[in-house]
Amino acid sequence: MEKIFLCIDMDAFFASVEQQANPKLRGKPIAVIGSGARTVVTTRSYEARKYGVKTGMNIHEARRLCPHLILVVGDNEKYTYTCTELEKVYRRFTPDVEIYSIDEAFLDVTTTHHLFGGPMAIGAEIKKRIRETFGISCTAGIAPTLLLAKLASDLAKPDGLRWIRAGDADSVLENLPVQELWGIGSRTAESLVSLGIRTCGELGSAPASLLRNKFGIIGETLKGMGRGLCNRPLVTGEEDPQSIGHSITLPRNTMDRKEIGSTLLRLCEMVGRRARKCGFVGRTVSLTLRYPDFETFTRQSTLSCPTNDTRAIYDRALEVLNGIRLRDSVRLLGVCLSSLLQERGQMHLLADVEKRRSLLRAMDSINDRYGECKIVRASCLKQAEPPGVISPAWRTSGVRNIRVK
Amino acid sequence: MKVTVEKDELQRKLSDIQNIVEKKNTMPILSHFLLAAEKGGGAITATDLETAFREPIALNVAEEGSLCIPAKKLFEIVREMEGDITLESVDSKWLKIKSGKSLFRLACLSPEEFPVWPSLSGEAEEMVMDSPVLLEMIDKTLYAAGESDTRYVLNGLLFHIKTDGTLTVVGTDGHRLALSRKTVGAKPAEEKKIIFSRKSLSELRRFLTDEPKEIKLAIGKNHILFTLDEIQFLTRLIEGTYPNYEQVIPAAGEKVMSVDKNTLMKALRRVSIMSKERSSAVKVDLDTATMGISASNPDLGEAKDEITVEYAGSPLSLAFNARYILDALGVMGAETIVFRLNEPLSPTLIMEEGSEEYKYVVMPMRL
Repeated sequence: MEKIFLCIDMDAFFASVEQQANPKLRGKPIAVIGSGARTVVTTRSYEARKYGVKTGMNIHEARRLCPHLILVVGDNEKYTYTCTELEKVYRRFTPDVEIYSIDEAFLDVTTTHHLFGGPMAIGAEIKKRIRETFGISCTAGIAPTLLLAKLASDLAKPDGLRWIRAGDADSVLENLPVQELWGIGSRTAESLVSLGIRTCGELGSAPASLLRNKFGIIGETLKGMGRGLCNRPLVTGEEDPQSIGHSITLPRNTMDRKEIGSTLLRLCEMVGRRARKCGFVGRTVSLTLRYPDFETFTRQSTLSCPTNDTRAIYDRALEVLNGIRLRDSVRLLGVCLSSLLQERGQMHLLADVEKRRSLLRAMDSINDRYGECKIVRASCLKQAEPPGVISPAWRTSGVRNIRVK
Repeated sequence: MKVTVEKDELQRKLSDIQNIVEKKNTMPILSHFLLAAEKGGGAITATDLETAFREPIALNVAEEGSLCIPAKKLFEIVREMEGDITLESVDSKWLKIKSGKSLFRLACLSPEEFPVWPSLSGEAEEMVMDSPVLLEMIDKTLYAAGESDTRYVLNGLLFHIKTDGTLTVVGTDGHRLALSRKTVGAKPAEEKKIIFSRKSLSELRRFLTDEPKEIKLAIGKNHILFTLDEIQFLTRLIEGTYPNYEQVIPAAGEKVMSVDKNTLMKALRRVSIMSKERSSAVKVDLDTATMGISASNPDLGEAKDEITVEYAGSPLSLAFNARYILDALGVMGAETIVFRLNEPLSPTLIMEEGSEEYKYVVMPMRL
């Protein structure tokens, strides 16, 4: 049976939520930014887009293009709350919902659309309910594959509703530049240009052997993408995570190992706490560093026993850090725990380790009850709050459901 | 230097040092071994700065001398040669290797560059042990030591020598602890606690034999030297304080269970097939004369087994990492094993029946 997918994509999500919450911002060019000193534009309203303000620009660049741009510091709690509520709307139409990112969702309505008068009716109804309940607009794309559904919503933005039927796919794709496709970035597009392929139509009809030679195993997948095919299934359940990590851009570049160390401790605490909360232990600790020129690299080390103990993660991360000869000051610092296993409750023999674990349990339950960072290690006290910008990987449930402020 | 040596002798001696010589190219000299030829006989020496190893080699010496030779390369060459091999140094820089019509020239380093054999300070404590006894003590404890633990003392074994002439060897990774204690005769003036690394011990154990030979230990301030026949094995001690192992060993619990080792091993192996990945958690239910063993995995299914044991205490349920129990049973010699249990979340003591020499303590898992 031919599948029918919906892709619901919020229009300028963070900006729309802010404009809805504060009527004075409506109809004006606004940009949502993070709270740190070196933040960038995370979302801009459609009014700001007219001036050429783009995501990722720093405040000065944005202001130069649009002097009367209103900057709003993002309020992550509003967005995560809205995202969680939106999921409830989707679930009225199908149980097969994938929250793909904080502002995008995929719905499989293959078996349920007849109950609601067809896919277009579902798309229209969802748009209507979101507008009525949250006062924000979204775009719905409908298609037989996830790839085309995403494309349909991209093409119909903003506030649109579009159905690409199987029979129409070829004509839509014929002259569409390849980089418009979900999953083809500028690198891949460049490589394709070197083969003389610019449009999806050309990609779909290119010889498979040519693509295989250039791209290896994904060559066939690329050819399929040119014809609107997509073998990625809908991911509805929470899969076991591969890794748990946090990173932070420091308020200012620094070479001071003490300062780096205390930020590292805080990151390890965030990683350890999340692992403990979700019942995982990990064996591999990776440390990511970024220099001011954006050169970024990761070094890792493996532990003999899987852990989620802040101290054990920190000790190993510090060991990795001490093994690196810094060639410049550090801009960004990240810690990641991988090779994850479910924690199985193996108890420790040595009294000091069990003591530390009881201490962590006590700290965790205090923070569970009174909010994050209510009890922290003293060396973390003087630091800035955790990162102000919410990760696109945020989810409504599971290990990526991070409580944000 | 010019010597002739039998292929088998050279190959065997070179294979002895392959694990000690440095494979990474951090210090080129460490990937070399020192070959010293004197009229009285030859010796080879290799080191990785943590351990040093010296062993005699049967040479026919035509001309005395010494040279630092790349250990891995020479090993590869010798393996492929046939018949007696002649080694000749050229200007302390090259080694000519000849056998029949085959001829190699191998770049070498001058013998002066080789690290000096660390000398034990004057007051080295000496003791003598039977090689099979030391081998057994290492085998019964080494597996329980940690690997790349940040608490680096756990990556080694503790040798605790008391004034009453007992030696206690302890290994722990923080979840379980293995302890082997024997009377070894030597009575030091004061008790000594020394720690050395897992890597050096697993290297040493290759040279220990089951044959009743004597091995001499000389314990210096920073190093320990083992001498067996003419083999010398020296390793650096790890600095630091080992956890107080005596505190960890539970006082004899009132709940005592004895079980046939092989029956228990088989049941544990069977059941743990169904437990999750590496943690291999199994649940143990003890009741009068029976032990139920079970494992379940929501994605896979479950397994149950029951074996007969000698147990008269009140019913008790607890969970273990099956691998931790199997590791210990695997090194135990006795047919009957005694478990001394307390509460479900307190450590369990496992021993061989009729012997106090070997103790294994394992922490259970939370159910």
